Amino acid sequence: MSTQTLSDGVGTVPAMTYAVEAENLVKHFSKGKDAIEAVRGVDLHVAQGEVFGFLGPNGAGKSTTVKMLTTLMSITSGTARVAGVDVAAHPDQARRKIGVALQEAGLDGRQTGRELLVLQARLFDMSPATAADRAKELLELVDLVESADRRIKSYSGGMKRRLDLASALVHQPEVLFLDEPTTGLDPASRLTVWEEVRRINEQGTTVFLTTQYLEEADALCNRLAIIDGGRIVLEGTPQQLKADLRERKGLPDDPTLDEVFLDATGRTRERIAGEVQEVMA
Amino acid sequence: MSTASQSWVLTRRAVREALRTPEALLPTLFIPLFFLIVNTGQAAKIFPTGNTPFLRGQGYAAFQLPSSLLLAASFGSAALFLVEDIEGGYFDKLRATPASRTALVLGRLGAEAMKCAAITLCLILVALPLGIHIASGPIGLLLLVLMTAGWAVVYVGFMQCIALKTRSAAATNSGGLVFFPLLFLTPSFVPRNLLAPAMEKAATVNPVTYIMEALRSLILHDLQTAPILRGFAVIAVSAVLMIALNVRLIRSYD
Repeated sequence: MSTQTLSDGVGTVPAMTYAVEAENLVKHFSKGKDAIEAVRGVDLHVAQGEVFGFLGPNGAGKSTTVKMLTTLMSITSGTARVAGVDVAAHPDQARRKIGVALQEAGLDGRQTGRELLVLQARLFDMSPATAADRAKELLELVDLVESADRRIKSYSGGMKRRLDLASALVHQPEVLFLDEPTTGLDPASRLTVWEEVRRINEQGTTVFLTTQYLEEADALCNRLAIIDGGRIVLEGTPQQLKADLRERKGLPDDPTLDEVFLDATGRTRERIAGEVQEVMA
Repeated sequence: MSTASQSWVLTRRAVREALRTPEALLPTLFIPLFFLIVNTGQAAKIFPTGNTPFLRGQGYAAFQLPSSLLLAASFGSAALFLVEDIEGGYFDKLRATPASRTALVLGRLGAEAMKCAAITLCLILVALPLGIHIASGPIGLLLLVLMTAGWAVVYVGFMQCIALKTRSAAATNSGGLVFFPLLFLTPSFVPRNLLAPAMEKAATVNPVTYIMEALRSLILHDLQTAPILRGFAVIAVSAVLMIALNVRLIRSYD
């Protein structure tokens, strides 16, 4: 883990241990003669053991940021460290410390659930026997034992998502990145994923969660940041952010997180329709 | 885990994938067999065994077999599976592991080589009743299988470059059209010295010609060092180039 130090006049003392640190992270895509600025200088500091929510409307730069942090995309400028490792300088080292479940459950439908987990474990240097044991353990954990030897293409959306989560946990990562893990799931499956996220976090794994569901962020996250137009526009605990808005607007009660979101992104409910949804799980 | 072990793990996965998709496997066997039978049927009377020195006592099917083997090795279906992995997000899952980028390439190419070796053996077995025998013997048969599998690696490597660059099944399929000039601007129906001058020049600059001539020498002659070495040299250089390009594309993949 990366530790930021502060001078106390005599020496340096550890101030905060960060699981994810990004400084002025920028990503440009070139399209013909034009450059698209997807991420425009993002700073992030996620403490070890946190569930950190990363919110934003479609196209705000959430997934691009996650892909840069997880070594899946090059960084145009700026630096990113995950579990203390510079992801651009030492991508392989970083990959050993992070688990990734991206927006679409990235699975191979022709394999069985067990085969997929064993393969994943083997690629993280486990022996065949250890990989088989780890796969069994994870299948039990995500309640897929009965379907373990069925081809993944026959799984439901919720089962695929749980398997994807299990495959991200194969090597017991220090930081788990979940990119919209509940998008498209029914309420029951969504609750199951929430329980899993809580349980994983209780075991000490830092969770970096992107979501469009504000209720999800409210329920799961210790702290969150809102990104819009490639920039972080608001950061804090859900309670802090609500209290700040109540104070600033002189509201009688705490606003909801979606009101905080709308205020931060300058959007109206009409404009936001279809971009961010509130769900009642 | 070494790159070789990682490649093997990924090869096994790609072999499973191929076996579980027989609909992609069967055309690879039947279309080359169809061309072998049709081309032989159409030209066998023009090139009778007794009066055609370049057949060296075998039927015209023996002369045609290399074209069918190269056709079987040029389907590139593994590249379409790669596009599926890319579109479905599984490729990102693999990229997020610490597996060597070379292993990510070699895994699929290894499976393609194994698949092509099996198909080559099947085609030869099926072709035996057409009067074909491998004049270079068991070692020649082994070299024949290795060379055809080597070409499959090169061709799929090329198709994977298109897949990695475009991430599109349509574009990857279209890229496969390069197969036509590569396979047909060769001495596929008669030896090179019997081609029309322009065609002979085109065949001479086409590297596939040397693979076809090497395969043909293994079927029609005893072991002849020069054409065999030329064939393997073309495959070795092209394979190294394709693997290097694939690895480079994966490393710079955004």
